[in-house]
Amino acid sequence: MIERRGFRAMGTDIELIVEAGDAGPQLTAAEQEFDRLEALLSRFRDDSELSRLNRDGSIDAGPDLQRLVALALEARERTGGRFDPTVHDALVGAGYDRSFEDVPGDSAEPPRAARCGGDVRIDGGRIVLGDGVHLDLGGIGKGYAAERAAELLGIAGPCLVNAGGDIATRGGAWPVGVETADGTMTLELHAGGLATSGRDRRRWRKNGREQHHIIDPSTGEPAETDLLRVTVIARDAVEAEVEAKVIFLSGSRAAAHTELSTILVTDDGRTLLTGALA
Amino acid sequence: MANHTVRLYALALGLVVFFLAWAVVAARPWTTRAADPRLRALAVRAALLRKEAKLVNQIVAARQRAASAATAPAAASSAVRVVTLPPLTITRTS
Repeated sequence: MIERRGFRAMGTDIELIVEAGDAGPQLTAAEQEFDRLEALLSRFRDDSELSRLNRDGSIDAGPDLQRLVALALEARERTGGRFDPTVHDALVGAGYDRSFEDVPGDSAEPPRAARCGGDVRIDGGRIVLGDGVHLDLGGIGKGYAAERAAELLGIAGPCLVNAGGDIATRGGAWPVGVETADGTMTLELHAGGLATSGRDRRRWRKNGREQHHIIDPSTGEPAETDLLRVTVIARDAVEAEVEAKVIFLSGSRAAAHTELSTILVTDDGRTLLTGALA
Repeated sequence: MANHTVRLYALALGLVVFFLAWAVVAARPWTTRAADPRLRALAVRAALLRKEAKLVNQIVAARQRAASAATAPAAASSAVRVVTLPPLTITRTS
């Protein structure tokens, strides 16, 4: 028997699916985990741990923020800076300075680029930011939350957690729909995680220029690429989220050579498959 | 008469000096004041919790590394395939 629960958290729709008889307590625990992590990691809440870090420049962080910042820094190292958690000021400069529902569709103020790649150190339990450095953990935070919730829900049975496109699984085989250029393709996911990133949603205009939420750390501005949307299957939702961003930045020509299983949708209406899906 | 008064003053002064010396010795200024035992217990508890938190973080990191290593081959090869089933859920741009 399959049980489902849907709710909103972290500015997106969350869906919990579990194959179990009575998974009520685990579903509730997984839902509460999203609320707990949102209260810690949201850059739009003044009292979140992340906002305190961005405001004060250094804090003795709890285990979740420590772990997530460590994962983000590992990803920055691994990807040569193409994934970077220090894009906060660039996002604000592009106009994404409040919860997405409240971002105006168009505004007269011109967008401004911001430098990325600043110093971030973890010293024991203390996180220290360089001068003028602020973190955004929006995307990777959703992947992390999906994994933590799947850990709790997995106690009840095989499960899938979908956090607005970032999917974590524990056991089972799950048919997951992925939007292509001309419809929907179904993937059967046996293990690991999946994430979709793109500029087809979460976009707005600023001074007549289209903006979106995926920042290219090398320019400090929304990425310019021929890809519209990227879906990546990886070991977990966190890695999938990181790789989806990196592949999105690289463009379709470089992305076509990745060994990862991906579905790429280009802005001229093509769907490309790579890795095990090719 | 004068000698008697002087002796009285001397006795009074002696008494004052004696009690002052007593008070100073009783206060034992050469010993350090003991900390509040409740504060001491809290400090010990905080140190213990920090140690346990560090240990838990190490265990979690080790388990995550082990789990990642265990799932890596599956993810690389056959964790996913295209099917014709209706989807249970849909992934969209987050």
